[in-house]
Amino acid sequence: MPPALAIYAPIFPEIFLALAAMALLMYGVFGGDRESEVPGWLAVLILAATGALVLMQAPGAVQLFDGAVIVDDFARFMKLLILGGSGFALILSFDYLRDAKILKFEFPVIALLSTVGMMLMASANNLISLYMALELQSLALYVLCAFRRDSVLSAEAGLKYFVLGALSSGLLLYGCSLVYGFTGTMSFAGIASVLQTSGSNIGLVFGLVFILCGVAFKLSAVPFHMWTPDVYQGAPTPVTAFLAAAPKVAAFAMLIRLVEDAFPAVATDWKQIVIAVSVGSMLLGAFAAIGQTNIKRLMAYSSIGHVGYALVGIAAGTPEGVKGVMIYLAIYVVMTLGTFACILAMRRKGGHVEDIAELSGLSRHQPMLAFMLAMLLFSMAGIPPLAGFFAKYFVFTAAIQAGLFWLAVLGVLTSVVSTFYYLAIISKMYFQEPAANFEPMPGKLRFVLAVTGVITLFLFIPINLLVTAAEAAARSLF
Amino acid sequence: MYSAIVFLPLIGALIAGLFGRWLGARPAGLITSALLTTGAVLSWVAFYRVGLSGEDARIPIMEWVRSGELQANWSLRIDTLTAVMLVVVNTVSALVHIYSIGYMSHDDSQPRFFAYLSLFTFAMLMLVTADNLLQLFMGWEGVGLASYLLIGFWYHKPSANAAAIKAFVVNRVGDFGFALGIFGVFTVFGTISFDAIFASAPDHVGKTMEFLGYQLDTLTTLCLLLFVGAMGKSAQFLLHTWLPDAMEGPTPVSALIHAATMVTAGVFMVARLSPLFELAPVALQVVTGIGALTAIFAATVGIAQNDIKRVIAYSTCSQLGYMFVAMGVGAYSAGMFHLFTHAFFKALLFLGAGSVIHALHDEQDLRNMGGLRKSIPLTFALMVIGTLALTGFPFTAGYFSKDTIIEVAYARETEVANWAFWLLLAAAFLTSAYSWRLIFMAFFGKPRYDEHHVHPHESPWVMLVPLFVLAAGALFAGYLGKDYFVGEDYAHFWRGALFTGPDNHILEHAHHSPAWVVWSPTVMMVAGFVVAWFSYIAVPSTPAVLIKTFKPIHAFLYNKWYIDELYDLIFVRPYIWLSRQLWKIGDGRIIDGLGPDGISARVIDVTNRVVRLQTGFVYHYAFVMLIGIALIVSYFAYVYWAQFWKGY
Amino acid sequence: MNLLLADYLPLVIFFGVAMFIGLALLAAPFLIAPNHPDSEKVSAYECGFPAFDDARMKFDIRFYLVSILFIIFDLEVAFLFPWAISFKEAGLFGFWSMMGFLGVLTIGFVYEWRKGALEWD
Repeated sequence: MPPALAIYAPIFPEIFLALAAMALLMYGVFGGDRESEVPGWLAVLILAATGALVLMQAPGAVQLFDGAVIVDDFARFMKLLILGGSGFALILSFDYLRDAKILKFEFPVIALLSTVGMMLMASANNLISLYMALELQSLALYVLCAFRRDSVLSAEAGLKYFVLGALSSGLLLYGCSLVYGFTGTMSFAGIASVLQTSGSNIGLVFGLVFILCGVAFKLSAVPFHMWTPDVYQGAPTPVTAFLAAAPKVAAFAMLIRLVEDAFPAVATDWKQIVIAVSVGSMLLGAFAAIGQTNIKRLMAYSSIGHVGYALVGIAAGTPEGVKGVMIYLAIYVVMTLGTFACILAMRRKGGHVEDIAELSGLSRHQPMLAFMLAMLLFSMAGIPPLAGFFAKYFVFTAAIQAGLFWLAVLGVLTSVVSTFYYLAIISKMYFQEPAANFEPMPGKLRFVLAVTGVITLFLFIPINLLVTAAEAAARSLF
Repeated sequence: MYSAIVFLPLIGALIAGLFGRWLGARPAGLITSALLTTGAVLSWVAFYRVGLSGEDARIPIMEWVRSGELQANWSLRIDTLTAVMLVVVNTVSALVHIYSIGYMSHDDSQPRFFAYLSLFTFAMLMLVTADNLLQLFMGWEGVGLASYLLIGFWYHKPSANAAAIKAFVVNRVGDFGFALGIFGVFTVFGTISFDAIFASAPDHVGKTMEFLGYQLDTLTTLCLLLFVGAMGKSAQFLLHTWLPDAMEGPTPVSALIHAATMVTAGVFMVARLSPLFELAPVALQVVTGIGALTAIFAATVGIAQNDIKRVIAYSTCSQLGYMFVAMGVGAYSAGMFHLFTHAFFKALLFLGAGSVIHALHDEQDLRNMGGLRKSIPLTFALMVIGTLALTGFPFTAGYFSKDTIIEVAYARETEVANWAFWLLLAAAFLTSAYSWRLIFMAFFGKPRYDEHHVHPHESPWVMLVPLFVLAAGALFAGYLGKDYFVGEDYAHFWRGALFTGPDNHILEHAHHSPAWVVWSPTVMMVAGFVVAWFSYIAVPSTPAVLIKTFKPIHAFLYNKWYIDELYDLIFVRPYIWLSRQLWKIGDGRIIDGLGPDGISARVIDVTNRVVRLQTGFVYHYAFVMLIGIALIVSYFAYVYWAQFWKGY
Repeated sequence: MNLLLADYLPLVIFFGVAMFIGLALLAAPFLIAPNHPDSEKVSAYECGFPAFDDARMKFDIRFYLVSILFIIFDLEVAFLFPWAISFKEAGLFGFWSMMGFLGVLTIGFVYEWRKGALEWD
C-alpha cells in the first residue's frame, strides 16, 4: 500500500462500506429485477466485514482530512454497535419484505449507505462533516420509510419524516452558521478553544440551542419527537426496527462528541437543555405509551422514553455518564432488535398484524415466543437481573454521582410508570384468552430473537466486559 | 423414653397429616392411636419413676436460641409436676384418639382430624416439659394453634369458624400479657431459664420496676402479667368467653383440649412458676379472687344452659376456677390434684355427652332429649359416674380433690380466701344442681326427641372402652392419689417441683379444719341433687314456674351475664367501626385514593391528554418543534440578558 | 481604488461581450429568418404544459423524475467549476477527490440508466 494511502487507513471501514454498497448496487442493477435474498445476505456480509475492519484497527485516536474526521475508541465502540444494529435489522427484514412483495436489492443498498452515514456521524469532528454524515444517514432513512410505495401509511411516514427532517436540518444548519459566525471556525477543537479564551455569548448559545434541537430531532427527544409515533407505525416494520436501533446510536455518538469536544466551556448551558429534553422524553415515553393499541406505536413511545433515560447520562456530563450512555445504547439496541423480532413474528395467513390485542394468550400457542417477549419487555422495564436493569443502573448512578439526584429519582419513577404498559402486554400474553394462532416463526427471526434474548437474559454474567469496554471508549473523549 | 413420649405424637401428626390421604381414614386413626397409646403407657412408667421412685431428669434436645444475653435451649424438664401432666395429657389423649376412631367414623377428613389431634398432643407435651419460658410459650402457642384448627375443624360451618377465630383472638389477649410477662422476666432476671429465675427470685422481693410509667412491685407485676396469659388459656372470668363457643368443635376435641388438657395449661403454668408466685402475695390474692369469681360465675351460667356440651363447658370453666383458688391460697398441690382428677371425670363427661349426641344423631339440645337411660344404659351409667365424681360424691375422685380445695380456702384465713370459701361452697351447690339437671333432663322423663325418626343406639365398643377407663379414673384416682398429692407423701412425691414458702403450712391447716367445713361440700352436693331432683323429676313444672317468676335473673344467667354482649359493645363494635373507617377512609380513600388508584387515574388522564396532542398533521408537529425551540431560546435569552443587565 | 477597479476590468469586458452576443442572436432572426407565424408558434412556451390553464391540473410524474435527475448533474457542474479553478492548489488529493466524486456520480447514472429512468416510456 502506498504511504500516501496508508495514512487514510483509519477511515478504511467507511470507504470499504461505501464502495461495497456501490458494488452491490451495480450487482443488483445488472443482475436483473428479480426478487432475491442474495443482495441482502451480501449486505450482511459486508457489514460483518466492515465490523472486522473496525475491530482490526489499533486503539488510539487519529484525525483525518484536516481534523474533519476523528477515529478513536469511542467512535469504534459506537461503530460496532451501529454495524451490529444494522446487520441484525437487515436479517429481520427478509421475510417481511418478501411478504410485502418489496424484496428488492435497493433495500440493503440504501441501508448500507445509511450505515456509512451513521459511522461518519460517530467520527464527525467538525460541523461540516457532522452535517454531511447526518444528511447521508437521514436521506437514506427517508427513502427506507417510504419503501413500501403502495402503502399509504408507508408513504405518509416517509413524507412526514422527510418534511420534518428537512425542518430539523434547517435548524441544525442555522445553528451551525451561528456558531461559525461567533467563533470563526468549524472544527470542534477550534470552537472549544475559542470558547475557552473568549467565553460564551448569547449568539453562540443560540447557535448551540439550534444545533441541539436538530440533533434532538434525530434522537426523537421531546419536544422534537412528534414524528416518531407516526413514522414508526407507518414505516415497514423492518425499517422501524432499523430506525429504532442504529440511527439512535449514531445520533447519540454525534451528540456526545459535539457537546464534550466542542462545547465543554458552556457545559452548564447545554446540560440544562439536555436535562429539559430528557425529562420531557422520560415523562412522555412513560405516559403516552399507556394509551397505545398498536405495538409499533407503543415501541415509538418506548424508544422516546429510552432516549430520555440515556440522555440522563449525558446530562451528568462525566466520563461515568458517557460510559452509562454507551452501555445503555448497547443494551437498548439488543432489546429493541429482539422485541422487533417478536413483532415481526406476529404474522397470520392474511399478513402481519400490529395490534397489541392480537398477542392475547400467546403463551398458550407459542410459549417460547411469549417467554422471550416477556423477558425483553421486563428488561425494557428495567427489572433485574435482565440487561435493561444494568442499562438504567449505570446512567442513574452517573447522574447521582454528578449530583443530579432528582433526575435519577424522576427516571426511576417514570420507569415505574412505563412498567405499566410492558406488564399490560405480558398480562395479555399470559392471562387472556388466546386470539388466533400466529404463523410459525421464520428461522431468521428465531436466530435474531435467540441472540438478543440470550444477551438480555444473561448479560449480568459478563456485564463487566461491556463496562470495561465502555469505560475505555468513554475515556478517549475526556 | 422421655423423648419418645414427647415426639411420638409429632411423628403421628406428620404421618397422618402428610400421608393421610394416601393411607386412608382408618389406618391414620389406628397409627396415631397406637403411637399415643404407647406414649400413654410410657407416661405411666415415667410417672412411676419420677413420682414414686424420685428420679428427676433433664434431657437436652438441642441448642435453640442464642442471641446476646438471651439463651434458650430446648430440653425436657422432667419432675413430678411434669410427670403428672404427662400422665394426664397422654392418657386422655390416647383415649380420645381411640374414641375418635368411632366418633369420627362418618367424617370425610379423618386423617386431618387425627393429625391435628396428635399435633395438639405434641404441643401440649412441649408445654409441660418446658425448661424455660420460651419453650413454654412455644408449646403454649402450639396448643393455641391446634385448638384453633380443631374448633374450626368443620370449616364449612360459619359458626365453627367464628368460634375458632374468637378462641384465637381472646387467647391473643391473654398471650399478650404472657409475652409481656416473659419480656419483663428477661428484663429483670436477664434469663428465661426456670432454674436461674427461681434461684434469683428471692433477691427481688420488695423491689420495684418501672411499668407503664409507674413504679410497681417487681414480682407482683410480673406474676400478674403472666397470670393474664393463664387467664386467657384457662378461660378465667373476663377471658372465658371463647370456651363455650369452642364447643363448635367435634366432641372429642372438647374432651381433650377444652376440658382435660389445654385449658389447664394456665393452672400448670402457675404451679410451675410457684417459686415466683409464692413470693408475690398480692398476685396470689388476685389469682384467688379471679378463680372464685370464675367458679361461681360459670356455675350460675351453667344452670341456665340447654346445650349439653355448653353445660359441661361452663362446668369446666367453674372447676378451673376451683383450681386457681387452690393456687391462689398457696395450695399448689391441691390445685394440681384437682387438675389430675378433673381430667378424668370431665373427659368422661364430655365423651359421654359425645356418646349421647352420637346416639341422637347430632342432637345437642337437652330440651330435645329425655328418657335415654333405657336406650343407652351403658352411657347413662358412665355419665352418672362422671357426675358423681364431679359433684364430689364421697370417695369418688372429686370428693377428695374438690373438698380439699374448699378446705384450703377456708384454712387460708385471709379476707379474699374467706370470700372464696363461701363462693366455692355456693358453686359446689350449683355444680351439683346443674350436673344432676343434665342427667335428669337427658336420661329421665319422657323422650322429647322425634321417636319415629330417631332411634337412640348404644355407641360402638371402640367408643365405650375409653369411657370405661376414664370412669375407673373418675372413681379411683382421688382415693389413690390423695396421699401423694396432698397427704403424707407430699414431700416425697413433689420434691420441690412445687415451691412453698417456709411459712406456708396451708395443707396442714386444712387437715385440721372444723368438721362443718369438712362436711359442708357434701351437704351442698346433696342439696344440689335434691333441688335438681325436685325440679325435674318430682315436680317437672318447677323450672317453668321459676323461670317465669325470676325472669330477669334467668335471662341474665341464660345470656351468660351479658358478657359477650358487653364485649360486643365495648370492644367488637368500636373496633369494627374503627376498622371500617380505616378501611373505607384510611385505606380506601386516602391510601388507595392518593396512592395506587389516584396515581393510576392521573396517569391515564395524562396519557389521554398527551395522546391527543398527536394529531397526525405535519404542521402541528412542526409547530410543536418550533414552540420547543422558541421556549429554549427564550429561556437562554432571559438568562443571558439578565446577566448582562446585572452589570449595570 | 483604481487598482481595485482595474481588477474588475475583465469582468466588464466579459459583460460587454456577453451582452453583444446575446443581442446579436436576438436581432439576427428578425433580419434573416423566414416568418410564417401560426397559433402554435406564437403561443408562449412552457416545458410540457399548456401555458394558460388551471393551476391545479394533473401532470405526468415523469417530469419530476427527469428534473430531479437533471438537478444532480446540474449541481455536479457547480462543484466542478471551483475545483477546476483551484486545481493547482488542490493537488493530487484534490484530483482524486473529484475523481471519486465523479465515480460515485457515474455509479448513480449507471443505476438510473439501467433502471430505465431515462426512458420516457
